Amino acid sequence: MKKILIIIFSFACLNTFAQGNIVNIQYAIGFGTGDLGDFIGSPSFRGFVFDYRNKINDNVGLGLEVGWNVFYEESDYDTYTKDNLSLTGKQWRYNNQLPMLFAADYYFSPDQTVNPFAGLGIGTMYSRRNTDMGTYSIEEEAWHFALRPELGVIYEVSSGFGLAATAKYYIALESGDLPTQSYVSLNLGLVFMPY
Amino acid sequence: MKNKLTIATLILGVLLTGCYPGGPEYTEELDVALTNFKDDYDFQAQTTYAMPDRIVKITGNITEGDEPEFIPDISANAILDMIESNMSDLGWQRVGIDENPDMLLAPAAWETTTVFWWYDYWGWWWGGYYPGWGCCYWPGYYPPVYVSSYTTGTLVMTLIDPDTESATGTPISQWTGAISGLLTGTYNADRIERAIDQVFAQSPYLKTN
Repeated sequence: MKKILIIIFSFACLNTFAQGNIVNIQYAIGFGTGDLGDFIGSPSFRGFVFDYRNKINDNVGLGLEVGWNVFYEESDYDTYTKDNLSLTGKQWRYNNQLPMLFAADYYFSPDQTVNPFAGLGIGTMYSRRNTDMGTYSIEEEAWHFALRPELGVIYEVSSGFGLAATAKYYIALESGDLPTQSYVSLNLGLVFMPY
Repeated sequence: MKNKLTIATLILGVLLTGCYPGGPEYTEELDVALTNFKDDYDFQAQTTYAMPDRIVKITGNITEGDEPEFIPDISANAILDMIESNMSDLGWQRVGIDENPDMLLAPAAWETTTVFWWYDYWGWWWGGYYPGWGCCYWPGYYPPVYVSSYTTGTLVMTLIDPDTESATGTPISQWTGAISGLLTGTYNADRIERAIDQVFAQSPYLKTN
């Protein structure tokens, strides 16, 4: 708890040196990889990412990221066997991913209309997996330690407003009921740079 | 700038909440068939089985000495015919209980009703009621409470070897087949037949011929 307070306080102090804020609200399409991709092969077209960065100098922004993607797949009527037990029916699979990260970005061309950047996020991700069959639902959940590298570009349309395209790769390490969960997120966003 | 931000957030929120993934649309999509068996039991060495003419209904409140309840004969006869047909296809011969059968097939059924309720959980936002938000409802506005229920039916079939028993003297189930689904109030022979057929189709180790 003490560490969390120190981190929050540190971010609050950054305002002292603020050279501008960036708010990026993005529509996110997710593609599961690894265990998540095996569980649900379909991409997630339901998701968003909210990014906030406080620029500590022209090239570096520090801040927070909160996002959500729900992966969903309806499987065919099929038989699922484990050892001597076989279960036949339709399955509805859901995987909710909620990353909450501290993030740092490096902006390569801060004074240009087209401003590419690279970033890294670190924090936690909440995963909830539901496997529904018949009137039953198996629920597994976990709070993971998560990492997220990112590449993106901001196109400044007018003063204080722009568009963004980003690619993020989330890696949430094995925890709770679930193994490592990972997915790629391709995002299109509206960028607001109030000051 | 703030207006733009607010509008963008609202649009995103409406789009996302409006498209949360769905689930089953039809009752029969919730039907499931389950089987389990003991892999150290030699089913191929058995050829005959006995099965009662009625299907006991498990109610959970029977006391010793009471006569158990049974599901209606018209339904039971149809279900027993389906079971016998599948067992026959696998090479088994049905015999009477007094003809020294190799195995006993014991069917049983039960119903479970689940009742659930919920509040209009958005109500607190625009002035309704929400548990823990007692301060916020409009005068005279009563909490909207919805109640609903669903009933599931389950049929279990168990194969028991009368010559085998556990250390405590109780019979051992060598094979269990179960079907479960949402009940709609009317007997649907097609759904039951499809599920019973599936139970035996996924149990090829029962084949003796």
